[in-house]
Amino acid sequence: MNSVVKMLLKRIGTSLVVLIGVSMLIFTIARVIPGDPARIALGPNASIEQIDKLRERLHLNDNIITQYGYFIKDLSNGNLGISLYTNRPVTTDIAQFLPATLELVIFAGFFMVAFGIPLGIIAAKYKDKWQDHSVRILALLTVSAPSFVWAVILMLLFAFFLPLFPVAGRIDDQLLLPDNITGFLTVDALIDGNFTVFVNAIWHILLPAFALSLSGIGQAARLTRANMVETYKKPYIEMAQAFGFSAKRIATKYAFKPSLIPSLTIIGLDFAAMLGNAFLVEAVFAWPGLSRYGVQVILRKDLNAIVGTVLVISAMFLVVNIIVDLLITYINPRIRLAKGQ
Amino acid sequence: MNLNHFKLAIIAATALSSIAITHVHAEGVLRLNEVAVGEIDPAKASDYADSILMFNIYDTLVVPNQGRGGFAAHLATSFEVQDKVFTFTLREGVKFHSGNIMSAEDVVFSLNRLKSMGLGLSYLFGDVETIEATDANTVKFTLNKPSASFIASLVRLPIIDKKAIMANIVKSDEDKDDMGDWGEKYLSTNSAGTGAYKVTSHNPQDETVMQKNPNYFLDIDKAAPSEVRLRYGLEAATVRTLISQNKHDISSQWLPPEVLKALAKGGSQLLVEKGTQEFYIKMNTAKAPLDDVHCRLALSNAFDYNSVLKLVSITDDVAMGSAATGAIPSGMLGEKPESEKLVRNLDAAKKHLSACKYDPKDFEINISWISEVPLEERFALLMQANFAEIGVKSKITKMPWALFAEQVSKAENTPHISQLFVNAVTGDPDTLLFGQYHSSVSGTWQSPEHLKDAIVDQALEQGRSASTIKLREAAYSKLNERLIEIAPSIYGYNVQAVFAASNRVKVPALSDPEKSFGLEGMGFTFRLMQINE
Amino acid sequence: MKKIFYQLTSNPMSLLGVILVSIVILSAIFADFITPFPEHRGAIVDFSNFNQPPHWPNIFGTDLVGRDLFTRIIYAYRISLILGFVVLVISVPIGVSIGLVAGYMGGWTETILMRITDVFLSIPPLVLAMSVMGLLEPSLFNGMMAVTIMWWPWYTRLVYNLTRSETQEGYVLAAEIIGASKFHIIFREILPNCWASIITKMALDLGFVILIAASLSFLGLGVQAPTPDLGSMVAEGGNYLPDSWWLVIFPALAILIAVFGFNLLGDALREILGGEE
Repeated sequence: MNSVVKMLLKRIGTSLVVLIGVSMLIFTIARVIPGDPARIALGPNASIEQIDKLRERLHLNDNIITQYGYFIKDLSNGNLGISLYTNRPVTTDIAQFLPATLELVIFAGFFMVAFGIPLGIIAAKYKDKWQDHSVRILALLTVSAPSFVWAVILMLLFAFFLPLFPVAGRIDDQLLLPDNITGFLTVDALIDGNFTVFVNAIWHILLPAFALSLSGIGQAARLTRANMVETYKKPYIEMAQAFGFSAKRIATKYAFKPSLIPSLTIIGLDFAAMLGNAFLVEAVFAWPGLSRYGVQVILRKDLNAIVGTVLVISAMFLVVNIIVDLLITYINPRIRLAKGQ
Repeated sequence: MNLNHFKLAIIAATALSSIAITHVHAEGVLRLNEVAVGEIDPAKASDYADSILMFNIYDTLVVPNQGRGGFAAHLATSFEVQDKVFTFTLREGVKFHSGNIMSAEDVVFSLNRLKSMGLGLSYLFGDVETIEATDANTVKFTLNKPSASFIASLVRLPIIDKKAIMANIVKSDEDKDDMGDWGEKYLSTNSAGTGAYKVTSHNPQDETVMQKNPNYFLDIDKAAPSEVRLRYGLEAATVRTLISQNKHDISSQWLPPEVLKALAKGGSQLLVEKGTQEFYIKMNTAKAPLDDVHCRLALSNAFDYNSVLKLVSITDDVAMGSAATGAIPSGMLGEKPESEKLVRNLDAAKKHLSACKYDPKDFEINISWISEVPLEERFALLMQANFAEIGVKSKITKMPWALFAEQVSKAENTPHISQLFVNAVTGDPDTLLFGQYHSSVSGTWQSPEHLKDAIVDQALEQGRSASTIKLREAAYSKLNERLIEIAPSIYGYNVQAVFAASNRVKVPALSDPEKSFGLEGMGFTFRLMQINE
Repeated sequence: MKKIFYQLTSNPMSLLGVILVSIVILSAIFADFITPFPEHRGAIVDFSNFNQPPHWPNIFGTDLVGRDLFTRIIYAYRISLILGFVVLVISVPIGVSIGLVAGYMGGWTETILMRITDVFLSIPPLVLAMSVMGLLEPSLFNGMMAVTIMWWPWYTRLVYNLTRSETQEGYVLAAEIIGASKFHIIFREILPNCWASIITKMALDLGFVILIAASLSFLGLGVQAPTPDLGSMVAEGGNYLPDSWWLVIFPALAILIAVFGFNLLGDALREILGGEE
């Protein structure tokens, strides 16, 4: 167990270093662009005097390294500045919008695993048969379109032409929201014991989460298949086959677990990539999350909000990767040893 | 196994949707939507959504008359004007949402807050020198010069509950100022007005929920909405579907004409706000080749006015615009008669182009459009094609609003052509035209022309200070003539805001010309709407 | 080469990939000859025939200012392919060189280079490109830059891993013993052994670059009108759903077909050349 803790600490350490790098990168990008942030902030009717005052207050007249120093100081106080888009502190915005995005991504991640891995197993079991070919085509198709294309197609089919699902939002607005505890509507509804809200929230999240997960499902299926096929070539499986174990037992018991590890790494990466793709899906489904906020602030050159959003999303990305590493270590202690050295 | 899963999913989905569809709408709830984000602090209000919020959560001393010009007393009962001094007597016993009684102190506080924060529409009150509460119900504004448009400006001075704000001021260490943040933090999530509706929840990216104020100082029709949900950032396609499924009541005016057409065809009603708005195509008069009046006239004659009108027409009798006759929209002081509508004249365009001191081949005109308004992209393409016909090359640049507002501050950064919808924020022609064309304010978002013209300046000043309607009219007519002659802008069309609405709402202010306010956003006074269940 | 081509055409899936990719590339090259209204790629407006569903001769319908959608999709392929090629041509040499140097030199060089790479890799790809693009003026050139900035680290990561394992091989050791220069070892000895993986990844990536570029322009961060672009066509058309479905469906399918083609081809190449995932 000790080596796991050591590995965890090491990963957190490197992640922090990387996160500081990210903050430098995004801060530099945000500061070197043409245009005066103070003027953009104050809007079209501001006077020169007001602009100068704000420039002073935002330390815009200092050099970039000093500015970065102020930024880090503010950041350590939990202050990311004011968003021009909503006129509120960026931290307030992030706190309000992040849970919706996380809920969406977690549902999508669940779909990715729940559909992707079984499809991969089926394909491997029926290697080179029609099942395998269909899964392969399906998997390739899903990764061949950006998630906004799937979002638009799903919306057109299942919300417009066949109005089975709602077209926008997290919940029907005449329903009373449960107390905001986790920010995840589904979880809050359950805590509240409000089944109607729970069902309604699930009903709203299904289509966007599925659209978001499609390319991940394809990836997961392909990888699981590839790894299972590799594993089937291993001597111990051949032995099991020679002993006459049932195909099902071999597939689920002996071939599956070793194949899972390489898949997990990639699924972790994919899961994190969904944080990016959420930008596209939230735009289509009017999902009031951090990604939609991210798109709006980027389009409006709202610098504080851009820096904040990118930092938070990168942090999530790193956290997900650490979790995946932990999972892998848990499944296969050998990797733990190799990595902990 | 896989197929079974799929079947199961379909069954589950159908079951879910049948549960969720059973309730359609709660009694008396009005659902409408606006652009991406709403601002409930009245001192920061600037756009249409903000105006709707401001007009419902807060009240003003005066309001525009319905169906005819002029203003009626509202929070005031009467007012007197003596040269530069405006004295208002306030209505007694009006209660804020907090239960506090409104007094003259609150009016003074509201103006001071607006001016100190210096955001939103505070520039309207730049001429107010002093304001004082002479007694609990009398307030006196002293201006630094006589102003014919001051009364109109007051529709943009919402009265705020001083006591409620003072109790919620946030002071930071750096701020030695007594007023701290002027209650900015508090008012970004709360309402502190006397209005007919009060805010119950506000998420600037999602929706603002308002409830009817039972203690409103005027009687409100029983059929008026009991709750209003103003939603933000909905896609056009979403709104279109929600309305046709009876899950939404009034769209924003930013739906593309095609979508409005589809909704009207499906039986939705179309609401129209005839207003004080015009679509201007602004030319940078400080940058070659458009610093030559002939080059500008060449472009304005080459512009295909009819195609634009065709583009914005919705049904046989409803359109998002009517033909422009000049710089002043119809229904406003100084307008030109309908018979003088602007039309395309290619011959004139060619003649002007040859009179221009520049050779068009040496230039590439930069046509910009604001990315928040997709319709403008089509206008940009139209212009590009129109100008190509007389041999003028151009390129198209998309600009987000914030960037546009930043770039126009310098003439050399301002694109050759910018497209803007400008309205008179108080309904008075002064607030439409001064900000656009006076040389003292060149280089704001309204004035990317960077125009410096003495005759224009003079006419604008006369219009602002003239004492009688007749004199004002003469000044604005002269201004209109001059603006057509020197063509700093192409006058695209008179804008009418068109909203698609479900048939369960009645909005007299937006469907009956006799009831219209003539002030953008005022048509959305919720207390005057009716909901039929 | 001949053998590869034979292998590609013998399997129905890879054959399909070859056919799709050929269609996309050929139609992009010969767009002037196969599109019915080549002038519609530019600033043309025809308000007598706008927003029309598919009909002859506008087989995919017309857009919001009356231009032929089929024509614009074909020209959009041209822009996407140019973008894809340019991005790879810039980012692959950069990424590969850094990966080779980091992998072979080790020590501080490796730590610094790979940490920088990690920084770029730890911002979700689309988010990084969006942030860069959002702060620049939207144009084809800036679009290429933004995608390039997010793309090179993936090659660094790939080549770094390959180099690390190659460095243990006997031939590298042999070269070191006879005193070959570092430059020679990196670019003459190790690099040739990475080509198979790099080329496979490039074939796959061409599709993904198109996909990312389409995503950027979908969010309003792409090329400017009147240049045709698949992502912005879907985004604009999205406002007119469900009535004007053709504005969305055809550009969406066009993206799908192109990327699917490159994926099939890349997949097949990987099997033939034995590159890594």
